[in-house]
Amino acid sequence: MLDLRIPSGYFFAIVGIVLMGLGILFPDERALLTPLNINLYAGGVMLLFGAILLLLARRKA
Amino acid sequence: MTLAPIDYAILALYFLFVLGIGWRLRARAASSSDFLTGGHKLPVWITSLAFLAANLGAQEVIGMAASGAKYGIMTSHFYWVGAVPAMLFIGVFMMPFYYGSHARSVPEYLKLRFDEKTRGLNALSFAVMTIFSSGISMYALGILFEAVLGWSFTASVLLSATIVLIYTYLGGLTSAIYNEVLQFFLIVLGFAPLAAMAVYKAGGWGGLQQRLPPVMTHSWKYLGDAHQNPMGVEIFGLVAGLGFVLSFGYWCTDFLVVQRAMAANSMAAARRTPLMAAFPKMIMPFIVIVPGLAAVALANMSTGYSIPTKGDGLDYDKVLTSLMAQFYPSGMLGVGLTALMASFMSGMAGNVTAFNTVFTYDIYQSYIRKNAPDSHYLKVGRITTLAGTALSVGAAYLAQSYNNIMDLLQLVFSFVNAPLFATFLLGMFWKRTTGHGAFVGLLAGTTTAALTHGLTIAEGKGGWIAPMFPFPSTMAQNFRIAICAWSACFLVTVVVSLATKAHAEETLHGLVYSLTKKISEEGVPFWKRPVPLAGIVIVILVMLNVVFR
Repeated sequence: MLDLRIPSGYFFAIVGIVLMGLGILFPDERALLTPLNINLYAGGVMLLFGAILLLLARRKA
Repeated sequence: MTLAPIDYAILALYFLFVLGIGWRLRARAASSSDFLTGGHKLPVWITSLAFLAANLGAQEVIGMAASGAKYGIMTSHFYWVGAVPAMLFIGVFMMPFYYGSHARSVPEYLKLRFDEKTRGLNALSFAVMTIFSSGISMYALGILFEAVLGWSFTASVLLSATIVLIYTYLGGLTSAIYNEVLQFFLIVLGFAPLAAMAVYKAGGWGGLQQRLPPVMTHSWKYLGDAHQNPMGVEIFGLVAGLGFVLSFGYWCTDFLVVQRAMAANSMAAARRTPLMAAFPKMIMPFIVIVPGLAAVALANMSTGYSIPTKGDGLDYDKVLTSLMAQFYPSGMLGVGLTALMASFMSGMAGNVTAFNTVFTYDIYQSYIRKNAPDSHYLKVGRITTLAGTALSVGAAYLAQSYNNIMDLLQLVFSFVNAPLFATFLLGMFWKRTTGHGAFVGLLAGTTTAALTHGLTIAEGKGGWIAPMFPFPSTMAQNFRIAICAWSACFLVTVVVSLATKAHAEETLHGLVYSLTKKISEEGVPFWKRPVPLAGIVIVILVMLNVVFR
């Protein structure tokens, strides 16, 4: 049976990489009320989360 | 708010993944029980997150932020007084009967415990309610996306319904549950940064306390008198009405959530499902309610942000999306909107999968065609999935054209739901309760709810018999209606049960507390046992209530 951690892991890894890419390529792209480069940081968290899910799935297999 | 191509790309990527999960699980729907009940094969981490996500619909997410902006941290009572204690109760006390009876649905448990008519009443009202509540949340999403993004109502309703339909049709309940877990992750990761940034900008919790009236940053302090707090409720109504009757009625008897726990791969996993779900549930107020508070604080600062308006009043339902527009640049904005779409889909898939099971097993198999081969019921389950989605879309359009009809329907549903928990409580813990007692009790409870509504009045609602008892808010009125309905159902069920012939004890094994063998927990580590787990949750729960009192 499909291990749910694999598709979830890939999804967040991909979204994380896309967001980090945006954060790096367009560091000046900021929302109105925050000075944070949120794409970079939130993308990093998502990539990490996706990677952990994939790692857990791999370790079990 | 305008989306950039990259935001649409993230939304499309998400659609691709949910459909892909459905596709990969299509072989998991070979029998009616695989398709409708998941075949009892899922591990507890999956069922517990699905247990949360099925309830975390778009209306919940948008509504909690709106309520946070309107009432403040008192909104947390829906979690810390309402949901969580009820989740502990079902895990510790009720799940042994649901899972142990091998019932395939909550109405089927009623059939095993009581009789056919009690099941029929529950199945029918649940089926109708599910369709309408699914339609109402679809409508809410449609008008929100229309107002915020300029998408056409029809486009967002049809697009989201079609995607939910495809993945539930392909993989059944397993596919819905798998996607609910993905949706839960996305909801947390998509909304938590918003909550963190908005609160930080408003100066942290201390800043919120400074910038907001004290009644918005205390959950208990102003509950002594209903006129002192914006919700217009007092402690008894809140604790008895919301904390006991309504929350236990929902979390312990609503098949939409119970179905997730029943899909677990063992009795132990089924009991742990709501208990493990209680941990993230306790944290959810910080993600869904607190942004509402921060929005009000930000509107009081000179940031240029203000609460969205509609006509002369404030439009609290747009608080969440307006914050997103202020804090998320392209990219993260796409993730945030995808999370909103995901919350909607998880709620809708929950409704559709609960509806098809109840319809197929409790209505079709019970009243229309009894002894058909399983492949026939699988087919009926699939057709019902299709029909349920179509009916929900229809209900969404009905809500769009006739708002009043929907208000009336929701009111009637609340009358039907209010007494339910009394029936289950008596049924599970008092072996003398009879089918006639349960049935008459439910009718009495619903009638009492309607009568209470007719005799009380709040904000111009109710009082159609005589506006004898005024309440400061409809919320307080609803709590009181629930308390009256529950009490009437409880009393009438007891009286009628005593007056009718008791069920033979040998038919009640595994269905009633005193006639069910206690589950042995020898050799199970404490962190896997229901009671210690519930104990840990209670300690954290008390701490949260004390900190935000």
